[in-house]
Amino acid sequence: MKLNRVLLFVVVVVALTTSLVACAPQATPEVEQPAEPVAPAATTAPAEPVAPAETEAPVATEAPVVTEPPAEPAAGGTLVLAMNLNDVVTLDPGYAGETTNLFIHINTYDTLVDIRPDDLNTIVPRLAESWEVNPEFTEFTFHLREDAKFASGNPVTAEDVVFSWNRLINIAGAPAFNLDGVGKIEALDEYTVKVTTAPDENGVLQPLPQFLASACNPSLGIQDSKLVKEHGGTDAADAAETDKAKEWLDQNSAGSGPFVMTKWSPKASIELVANQNYWKGAPNFERVVINHVEDPSTKLQMLERGDADMLDSLDPDLMDMAMGNPDIVTSVDTSLDMNYLAMVYTCPEDVQAQSQESYDALMSPESHEIICKKAFRQAVAYAIDYDGITQAVLSGYGTRAPSIIPLGIMGVDPAKVQGRDLEKAKALLAEAGYPDGATIDLYYGSSPTREIVAAKLQSDLAEVGITANLQPLEQSVYLSEMRAQKLPMAFGGWTPDYLDVTMWTDYFGLGDRSIAFRMWFKNEESHALAEEIRTTSDPAAREAAVVKIQEVWMEEMPFTMLYQLQYIHAFRKELQGFKFHPVWFVDLFELSK
Amino acid sequence: MSLIQHIIRRLVLMIPMLMGITLLLFIVTHIVPVDPLAVILTEKSMEDPEAVAAATAKWGLDKPLPEQYLIYLNNLVRGDMGTSFKTKNPVFKDLKTFLPATIELAIGSFIFAILLGLPLGIISAVHSGRPVDHFTRVFSLLGASMPPFWSGLLVLFVFYYLLGWAPGPGRIDARIDSPDQVTGLFLVDSLITGNTEAFWSSLSHLILPCIILGWFTLALIARISRSSIMEVMTQDYIRTARAKGQIERLVITRHALRNGLIPLVTLMGLAFAGLMSGAIMTETIFAWPGIGRYAVDASANLDYPAISGVTLLIAVIYMFVNLFVDILYTFLDPRIRES
Repeated sequence: MKLNRVLLFVVVVVALTTSLVACAPQATPEVEQPAEPVAPAATTAPAEPVAPAETEAPVATEAPVVTEPPAEPAAGGTLVLAMNLNDVVTLDPGYAGETTNLFIHINTYDTLVDIRPDDLNTIVPRLAESWEVNPEFTEFTFHLREDAKFASGNPVTAEDVVFSWNRLINIAGAPAFNLDGVGKIEALDEYTVKVTTAPDENGVLQPLPQFLASACNPSLGIQDSKLVKEHGGTDAADAAETDKAKEWLDQNSAGSGPFVMTKWSPKASIELVANQNYWKGAPNFERVVINHVEDPSTKLQMLERGDADMLDSLDPDLMDMAMGNPDIVTSVDTSLDMNYLAMVYTCPEDVQAQSQESYDALMSPESHEIICKKAFRQAVAYAIDYDGITQAVLSGYGTRAPSIIPLGIMGVDPAKVQGRDLEKAKALLAEAGYPDGATIDLYYGSSPTREIVAAKLQSDLAEVGITANLQPLEQSVYLSEMRAQKLPMAFGGWTPDYLDVTMWTDYFGLGDRSIAFRMWFKNEESHALAEEIRTTSDPAAREAAVVKIQEVWMEEMPFTMLYQLQYIHAFRKELQGFKFHPVWFVDLFELSK
Repeated sequence: MSLIQHIIRRLVLMIPMLMGITLLLFIVTHIVPVDPLAVILTEKSMEDPEAVAAATAKWGLDKPLPEQYLIYLNNLVRGDMGTSFKTKNPVFKDLKTFLPATIELAIGSFIFAILLGLPLGIISAVHSGRPVDHFTRVFSLLGASMPPFWSGLLVLFVFYYLLGWAPGPGRIDARIDSPDQVTGLFLVDSLITGNTEAFWSSLSHLILPCIILGWFTLALIARISRSSIMEVMTQDYIRTARAKGQIERLVITRHALRNGLIPLVTLMGLAFAGLMSGAIMTETIFAWPGIGRYAVDASANLDYPAISGVTLLIAVIYMFVNLFVDILYTFLDPRIRES
């Protein structure tokens, strides 16, 4: 009977399915990842832009003459990574401004200078063997190593540096800000490049003390100008319109780095192959496949089954599971990524004095009126249960700095961290004129993690009598409103683009910049100190100013750090040489199996 | 009216419908109080008035809304869906990148749903009230009620992680070279290029996501076909067929099925269009680079051109599927042909 066989099949299928459902509880529900895929570590201070006038080259032997396919291929094998690649929208260094790009670019392009994971204090040579910086920080001269070749075989020359950086500036895409303040890039000879900063309105060259740190950013990696031009690239002033190389650079790399990108399938994978021409020698892996996997538990399953050798990050909830597997190694690393709470500094009447339009646009003006009082802001900072938030959001994998500059940056002293103090908070509340508490609106861009933070903040503040009405906004709406200086109180995250303290002091300290601008933080002392940090060349004076600006911030309390993230990295135990970098994750050249 | 005339009329009617959709879409995306510059520019370049002015002019954001709409329509007619704010690629190119994965997944799920759903529906109709019917009901209910983000994780956990019977997420094994791009459909491309290793790998990677995505459709098909056939089985012509001594199998396949399946055609059409418009959760769990993920990103970033592109694409898919279903009707039901 035909029908009976079909029936039997159905019964088997159904039985299988029901038994499947019975063992359901072990399945891990979808959990939001703590943060960006590129995660890494940093417990020491970042590089200071001290110009080591002449640094000797690490490997400066005679240039190996690379002919034909190299005699000895890479040790071989494929390295498979499971990462969240959701943020990748382009891989052209002229346009790419996302976190994952930094990781891809540092492994496919060479920067002139570098900050290595094991010493974040020192800027070391990469394509540049040595460099000079004038005392005013307005002229930077780089001497390129002469043995470096692009993967294409073309030599790396000063012209390539000029092309790469001009292309970046003229395309004016996301990474162009790394070259803000740069006026002129010129090739003095085949292997010497000179960068001069841009003059201000009086014709005085602007000091750019963070330039060396910013030149370590993978986006400033050197592109093979011949190759990029062949594919329609240009560094002309109108490159934003006339450069046609993006389509090719999205699928290929044109660098001298240890690997060459050969394919990018959006939201699926990125494939790299070893650059056999690499000036440090051939990498240990012939091929690297970076697979896009979003679900954290699935990522771990892939690692456990050996379908992935390494993950970009491991969800804290899965830590126990990973530790139970002897084939997996985990490592907890402090990042420089942090979340902050920002409170408006200027009171509505002063806003009105500056701009009627801004005044009319303020959201929750009553909240502005309350929060703009210094004692109130201090009360809020003392009322927050920071440890509780770290526990709730990060399962404890987090830390906190005294102000909003993360631990690990120069001048940041963990001993100065102020925790929760309810008595002090209540006293300050009374001082602000609200002994019985107050009601305010708290804005944020909604996400599962931020909802938890918001709820926790709400209940913490309630303990001192502050009623916080939660105002979640869709993330892009939130950003728009915040940029328009409308919000009285908001919280969000901050990730550095380069390892220099101006990454925080500029954006939080200068009243006309970014977060400080958005929260009306127009404080002269903070502005002056941030300006000093920007322009001082003496490291000791700089550090002193960093210490001081944090004191100002902690007194005025326009921002308080909620938590600094720690990331868990997981990889197969066979994998050697794994070291984290807080900006670009990991150097694949260092890895071996 | 001949069939050809009918089709042409329907195609012409699509133009005003598309106009209506674009207008609605345009209004909805533009009344949201968000500054699109926030998407186009980076955090840092937002502070550069020159960059802001350049971007505003480049993307036509300084023009009044009706003018922006006309520009958009004008471009659309010429096949230009605009450039995505986020990816900086022509939207058409982005859609071409993400659509093949969705097509493969949708067709696979659809085949799975029909191959299993239809027999299940028929068997449970014929044996209604018997154990097999109850099993089908439970099985369908599970498919209809388990959200894919849960059932997807579950099948991965059991069949990939615990048992190792199925491959993990993704379209193809990481250690295998994906086939050279011709159509973007891995199965087709690997066959064309004779890459059998890639063919089997992509086929095996399709199984779990297709089961998960197709399960819901399967449930619909099984339930609707069951009730539809049961209804038909009470009709006079079935009794007549039995009375004239037709064996039961032929009664079902020849008389009951043909009539009972007509309502299913509409359902399947809609279900297929639904599968084609992307399955966000399934795509997320199985790391499947399809149109659903692109749509989510577009809306999260308020990327007008991309949102419009995806919506238009889905609208067009629905229109064509409906047209196809209508045409299919005329073959299945002579009464429609006659009228």
